[in-house]
Parts: sequence; structure tokens; C-alpha cells
Amino acid sequence: MIQNAQLERVQNLLEAQDYVADRSIVMSVYLAMTLHKPLLIEGPAGVGKTEIAKVMARALDTDLIRLQCYEGLDANMALYEWNYQRQLLHLKIDENSTRTLEEREATIFGEEFLLKRPLLQALTHAKPPVLLIDELDRADEEFEAFLLEILSEWQITIPEIGSIKAKEPPYVILTGNRTRELSDAVRRRCFYLWIDYPEYDKELAIVKSKVPEIDGNLASQLCRFMELMREQKLEKVPGVAETLDWGKALAALHQDHLDPELVQETLGLVFKDRNDVRQVKESLASFLERVGVQAKEIPTIPDAE
Amino acid sequence: MTSNPEPVAEHAPRPYLFEDLALRREFSANVVGFCRWLRKHGAGPGPGEQMDALRALDAIDLLNEEDFYWTLRTTLAKSQQEQEVFDEHFRKFWYVWDHADQLNYRDEKETEVPTLVIDDRPRKQKYISINDWLNHAEEASEEQEAAGYSPFEVTTERDFSGFLMEEMDEVARLINEIGKALAVKFSRRTMKSNRRGPLDLRRTMRGCLRRGGDILDLAHLQRKRQKLKLVLLCDVSKSMDLYSRFLIQFIYAFQSVYKRIETFVFSTSLHRVTESLRAEEMEEALNLLESTVPDWSGGTKIGASFTEFVEQYGLSMLDPGTIVLIVSDGWDTGDVDLLENSMRVLKQRSRSVIWLNPLMGNPGYQPSTRGMQAALPFIDIFASAHNLNSLRRLVRQLSRVQHGRQLQAA
Repeated sequence: MIQNAQLERVQNLLEAQDYVADRSIVMSVYLAMTLHKPLLIEGPAGVGKTEIAKVMARALDTDLIRLQCYEGLDANMALYEWNYQRQLLHLKIDENSTRTLEEREATIFGEEFLLKRPLLQALTHAKPPVLLIDELDRADEEFEAFLLEILSEWQITIPEIGSIKAKEPPYVILTGNRTRELSDAVRRRCFYLWIDYPEYDKELAIVKSKVPEIDGNLASQLCRFMELMREQKLEKVPGVAETLDWGKALAALHQDHLDPELVQETLGLVFKDRNDVRQVKESLASFLERVGVQAKEIPTIPDAE
Repeated sequence: MTSNPEPVAEHAPRPYLFEDLALRREFSANVVGFCRWLRKHGAGPGPGEQMDALRALDAIDLLNEEDFYWTLRTTLAKSQQEQEVFDEHFRKFWYVWDHADQLNYRDEKETEVPTLVIDDRPRKQKYISINDWLNHAEEASEEQEAAGYSPFEVTTERDFSGFLMEEMDEVARLINEIGKALAVKFSRRTMKSNRRGPLDLRRTMRGCLRRGGDILDLAHLQRKRQKLKLVLLCDVSKSMDLYSRFLIQFIYAFQSVYKRIETFVFSTSLHRVTESLRAEEMEEALNLLESTVPDWSGGTKIGASFTEFVEQYGLSMLDPGTIVLIVSDGWDTGDVDLLENSMRVLKQRSRSVIWLNPLMGNPGYQPSTRGMQAALPFIDIFASAHNLNSLRRLVRQLSRVQHGRQLQAA
């Protein structure tokens, strides 16, 4: 079947990017591509939400345009701006010409004076690109409302030029960390995918594919440890990115297991909050024991041999 | 309804399923039926999503059960909560359909759930009356309001401690709605500003064209003011139990609309509860709170708790755009020096410090406890928080701070 070929293509591409994807991710990406609907991806930080957009762009063989949201982001910054310096310069150079005001105005409000920001870029791109709207929950509600309008019309009006409408709308991926609840209207318009922290097996596969040089025993201890950490009440729960950083560091030191002392020294790679580091340090011995690491300080009973 | 019922009974986990389901011959009708079933159980796929699901099913291999599941889930469940509802009901529903060949088809019209419609009206009316109360309050003086005759307005002047047990739920609900309404009002107010902002190059250019290319007038953008941040430090010791419960309910509602709030509770030590208050249901949030805070309704060490706050969060959470809101009766059993020092830091690092003391509701109250005396010099607004009206006044004071008006200690 044709549709399954596409599905497989998505799956293969995800794998080719070392992205360990389960079926729910593959299906969501496939459906969003096939039905050309925006895909809203939510989940904690560091689980690979942004990666998906990159993979989708590869799968569609098109460009990726990214709009990073932040507090205070407004329509102008996301859509377009006039190149004022250039306009002023042009006016100065043109000062002594005999052209009428209207003619001058017409020239400086032409497309070559227009600075396209991501949304307008996405609209006017020759081949529909993948538009990644990253961390939408950071932008405020007004921007969300504005975006909703764009997502439904795919048309904007620049007063000086007129309406610009996308020939074919871009493929849209929105991501969120749930720092703020997104509006129902946005949810309704998108397909939805929730990516959680990976289970032990999946994370192990990720570590092995992204840090191929890592020792097998170390990798499994590492993932058990991270699994345990995500059950703790921490301010900033470490994501997969942290696991990978840590794995790379330990592998570079040619470790084959979690060494209690080294763990102590490298906690900063994994925990990004002062209290978290303190909390983990306090019960480190018991954590390590639970993932199967014998602390050196614990004396083994000689008779037991 | 007469064909062999045996196999049905054998497979059917519960008979009522068949009562609720209207199975149809058309596959698409069953998808629509599933959407309706989900709506009935708290998830809300609309007609648009129904269409999406049908289009999406067209793009997959229907015989692959796993793909079928993920496709419906991606198109119909739009949040984690909806995904939970979806997972709970997917099997239940499609299990029945799996065995549909053993059933008699029913083609009757669905009966809509009428309770939703009936439920909605009184609530809406109540909300309008709250808005009336809020708007009306803008013009009228406090005294006039208090003399109002509607039961609602009487409620707003009553001291929280004066409510009967049976009334608690109703008051909690009122607080919830007032909190939301006020938060909406507050966040709107924070948008207005007459100050000049950065240059509006677009308008400046326009103007300069008209004059042949020389810049004469600079147009300014209306500056969008940074919204204020609130840090709430709420006393949950025994003496404050009743009031803090209401206040936290208030903050819970307020926070659901106005997000820039960090909430801490303290009695003998400090606990950050911002996350707990984000729970979907207020009931759940309050339960979560009480389980995370071990010394709820314990003694009070205000100074030690504030010092903890200043040391741990002072740098990251306090800045000139932050209002510190303290709710406490000032009965400190701990070190008064600690309180004085930490109050000084709070005052220095924030825009203003507001102290709400429910005891202020008593006409004869004097802030004479040692703790209160030590804290007073660092307080910008000292106000009461003992009834619904005082909550409303509080929000008005907050907006005044937002506009940078001169503050005066009450």
C-alpha cells in the first residue's frame, strides 16, 4: 500500500537521525504530513520535541523555518519589518531627483526593503517549508490569538503592499513545555502528541545510538539511575539531553560503571538547580545501591567469599 | 432484538455498554459515535476533529490495530487529560464494535445528555452577578455596597470566620469565580500605559515622507508594560488556618488566569507550592498542598521562614517588577531579628511589600505584637483580608502599584 510506504519512510528517517521513535510519534508525524495539519507536541524539556521538526523537514525534503517564542514576542517580530536604515538611505540619495512623492513612496515600500521574519518567510517560501513554532507557551496570549489567525487564513496584509497569501500552507509543528496552558482553540486546530520521559528501554536505546562508544554496563546503570531520578521530587527534572551529556562525559573518561566519587563530581552535568544537587548528594549512596552500584565505602564481609 | 443473546453475554464485560452505544453499520458512523461517547465522558472532540479523524483513518491501513489506535488518539485527544479519557474508553468502545457482528444493530436516535444544559444556566447567571458586582463597585462607595440587599452582597462583607460549615462550599466557589474575574480585570489594567516607549520607526518614516524625507516628528510606540510578578508568602499556622485556606483558594483561582505568581506557604518552615496549585481541580490542588506541607496548622516562625525565602529564592524571584504579598497575623514565636532583617531585604529587592492581616477586620485591632512591630517599617500597604470585599480591594491596590502611583501605608 502506498500509505505504508510513506509511513515507513518517516520511520526510517527518524531512525536515520538516531531518533528512537515509538509508534505514536511515527503516526503523529505521518498524519500531520499527510493531512497537512499542524502538530502540537507537548512534553517536558529535553525529550526531543524540536528534533521532530527537523526530521519532518528531511522527510518532506524541504526547509525548516524556526520561530522561537519568548515573552513579549509580538506580531511585528514574527511577521515582517521594514528595513528603515535602507529606506532612509534611499530617500537621502534620491533627494534631488524630480520624482513625485508617490513615486518615491512606491519605491521604498517595495519588496526589497522588506525584512521577512519567520512567519512571512514561511508564507512566501517557494516550496512549503516546515515551520517550527518553538515553545509557544512562552509567548503571551495575544500572540497565540494572532497566530491562530495566521494558522487558519495563511494570509497576511501588509498595508503598503497588499495581501500576501501562501500558495500552499507550510507544515507546522508547535511545541510547548506546559509552562502555561495553551488555549483550547489552538489545541482544537492541531493534532496532538505528548512525549514523556522515555522508559528505561527506550532511553537505553537512545544512549547507545547517540553515544556509541559507551560501555554497555555503564549505559544501563546510567539509565536506571536516571529512571530513579525522575521519580524524585526535583525542581528541574533532568531530560534525555542531560542523560546524553553525562553519558558522553563518563564515556570520555573510559568508565565502565557509575563510580560514586565521579558521580559526585559530575552531578552538575545532570542537575541544574542548587537544591536538586544538594538533595541528590544527600541520598546518593542509597540511589546508587538501588541501581546496582556497590559503594566503595560499604565494606564487604570477608567471610562471604 | 431477538437473535441469539448468548455470545453477547459471554463477551460483554458489562451490559450497560450496549445500552449506551448505538452501533451502526457504517464505519464512519461508528467513529462519530465514538466522538460522541468521548464527549459524554469528558473529552471534547468537536466536529472539526471528527472530520480530521475520518480523513486520517482514510490515510492508514485500517487492519493494523495499533495504527488505528494512534491515529484516533492523535486526532481526537488534545491534551494529557483527554488522552487519559481516550485510553480509558478506547477499548470499551471498540471492543463492543469488534463483536458487533454478534449484536443487533440499533439505529435509534441518540439521546443527548440533558444535564449539561440544565447545569449551565444558573452558573452563568451567577457569573454575571459577580461581574455586576465588580463593575458596580468601581463607582459606588464601599458603604453603599455593604448596604446592598442581595444575599450575594451581604456575603461579601461577612468575615470568613463567620461562615457556617454548610456555607463553605458555596463561599469557596464564590472565591474561585471572583479570583478569576479579578485576574482578568487585573491583567487588562496592566496593559494600559501613557508612557512613551521606544521609537516607532514605521510611523516616523511615514511622517517623514510627507515632509520630503526629513525627520521632524518622532513617533513612539505605546510601551507595553511588563506585567507585574507576584510572590505570595502565606502563613498556614494554626492561628491563620481559616483565612489562609480562603486566600489560597483565591490565589488558586487568580493564578489560573494570571500566571505570574509564585506561591509559598510557611508555618515553622517554608514550602514552595506554585506547582501544586497548578492542578486542574481546586479540590485536588488543596489536597496536594496539605500532603506536601508537613507542618500545616503548626506553630509560626515567620522570621526563619522569610530568611529561608530570601536566601533560596531572593535573587531569582525578587526584582523591581515584583510585589511581595504576605498573608499573616504576625504572631511570631521565633526570632524577631530574623524577621526584621529578612523584611528589609524583601523591601529592598521588590517593588513593594503588601501585608495582609485578617485581624485588621476587627475595628479595635492594633498591630502591637513584637513581630508586627518589627515588620511595619518595611510594609508599603498594610491591609485586611478577612472578607470578599477586602480581596477585591487588594486587587485594586495591586493595579495601583502597577501604575506606579504613590503608595501609602494604611
